Amino acid sequence: MSRAEDWELPITEAQLIAMTRDLDEAHRETIPLMRAQAAGFAEELADTGVIRRPVGRRRFLVGLGGVGAGLALAACSSSSSSPSTGASSMSAAAGTPMSGTTPSVYTGDLKVVALATALENQAVAAYTAALAAAAAGKLGTVPPAVGTFAQTAMGQHADHAKAWNGVLQAANVPTITNIPLSTQPEVLSALGAVTTVSGVAILALELENQAAQTYLFAAGNVSSAGGIATAASIAPVEAMHAAILQFVVGQYPVPDSFLGTSKAASTSTLTV
Amino acid sequence: MGDEHLDTRLLTELTVESQDLNSDAVRITKEALGEFAQQEQERVASRKSRAGLMAGVAGASALLWGAGRAAAATASSDDVMALQTAASIENLAVSVYTTASGLSFIKDGNATVAAFITKTTAQHTAHAQAFNAALTQAGAATQSAPNPKYAAVVKSALPGITTAADVVSLALTLEDVAAQTYTKYVSVVDTPALRTLFGSVAPVEAQHRSVLLAVQALLAGGAEDLITIPTDPAKLPAAAGSVGFPVAFYPTTNASPISEGAVQ
Repeated sequence: MSRAEDWELPITEAQLIAMTRDLDEAHRETIPLMRAQAAGFAEELADTGVIRRPVGRRRFLVGLGGVGAGLALAACSSSSSSPSTGASSMSAAAGTPMSGTTPSVYTGDLKVVALATALENQAVAAYTAALAAAAAGKLGTVPPAVGTFAQTAMGQHADHAKAWNGVLQAANVPTITNIPLSTQPEVLSALGAVTTVSGVAILALELENQAAQTYLFAAGNVSSAGGIATAASIAPVEAMHAAILQFVVGQYPVPDSFLGTSKAASTSTLTV
Repeated sequence: MGDEHLDTRLLTELTVESQDLNSDAVRITKEALGEFAQQEQERVASRKSRAGLMAGVAGASALLWGAGRAAAATASSDDVMALQTAASIENLAVSVYTTASGLSFIKDGNATVAAFITKTTAQHTAHAQAFNAALTQAGAATQSAPNPKYAAVVKSALPGITTAADVVSLALTLEDVAAQTYTKYVSVVDTPALRTLFGSVAPVEAQHRSVLLAVQALLAGGAEDLITIPTDPAKLPAAAGSVGFPVAFYPTTNASPISEGAVQ
């Protein structure tokens, strides 16, 4: 890729800052709604007997903030401290299969929630690693737009993980702050092998497509209304990430008329 | 304009490339439509059975009333209205993009924007066909008219459209409404197969919006030359990396009510 140093931005820095601020405000405005939706989801699961009665709404929201803070620090690590509600985080190493005789605490819709959380953590970790590699100069010159993309997409994936972990926490099952997926070693290997920005973008594109398609599968297969609504509201965002990535790597950004599910992750890849 | 200004090479490549990628999506859609048809048949059979039971108790007049009510309930169910409103939105989108493609500043303007409009028109046509196919399988009336609320918005906006940026702005409104509406409908419809259908279309509308947001920013920044495939990522302004996905959760506050485009 050619260097961008000689190129002048066609809009002013002030305009750029204003655009970014507006975007950030729009983004933040949606979060309280999603947290409330996640709380409703847990209530619904309790009503149907899938889980025990969730913690109170106020306690839930307080705890959710703690989970979010933990996630940002621990997405790449194998464990993190438990939130204050008493539900503990999973401590299995990323990609480590669950013991064959231990039944999973994630059953029914919660298994899909656990998968979603793990996938979001995987995306956060991938972007974190890519940004670190870029900062270390391992990817060559990184275009400013690619850096902004990675930062923003990573933040949104972290928000998605917070929403799903909120459901797990309210359901009194362990939150997931690591990446308990059997596919994680493969992703780590691929990440370690890339040496260019376009290589990272192609890998990120695979993760985004997988996430979007997993949410489509979830929307058609989970039974709780809150779970359906949450999956439905995240799938378009992952698809938008994919569209911009396709543009960046030189492909048409909207190749398909309908989203498929052939790239969706299976709950069988979950190792907890 | 000359047709030579349309990037036909790009379109051909896109068509070939998307056919394979699309096959799974088409299969998903067909399966969703098939499941929906089966579930509708079961629902109608169940209602007829209940109506027959009522008839035994209350006589022939009750049978007629009950059966008629059951049929009406099927035809005016939330699922049917949602499909009709969705089809109305798609019909309007097809109309707007078709009109836009004939405008001189589009035909003679940026080739990638023109190719995007052509491709997007085809995708909205496919969506309308899918929604109407589901209606046909449900034994309900298909929707061939444009959405009345947004048709009025388009009508008032058309005289003021003099640039590609104006077209992009109008298209953004329609794509956002479509994406919000289908995102909402995933939770509204009763049939799981229809959840999958709406869920498979909403992200595509969101992707259209994503592209339009990026194009809008590049046009506003005087960087039209970067609206090309492949583009030069090194020359893109930093904001271009995030302008295409402004929220972490797709909102539904502007979703159309299911009655908005229902067949009267």
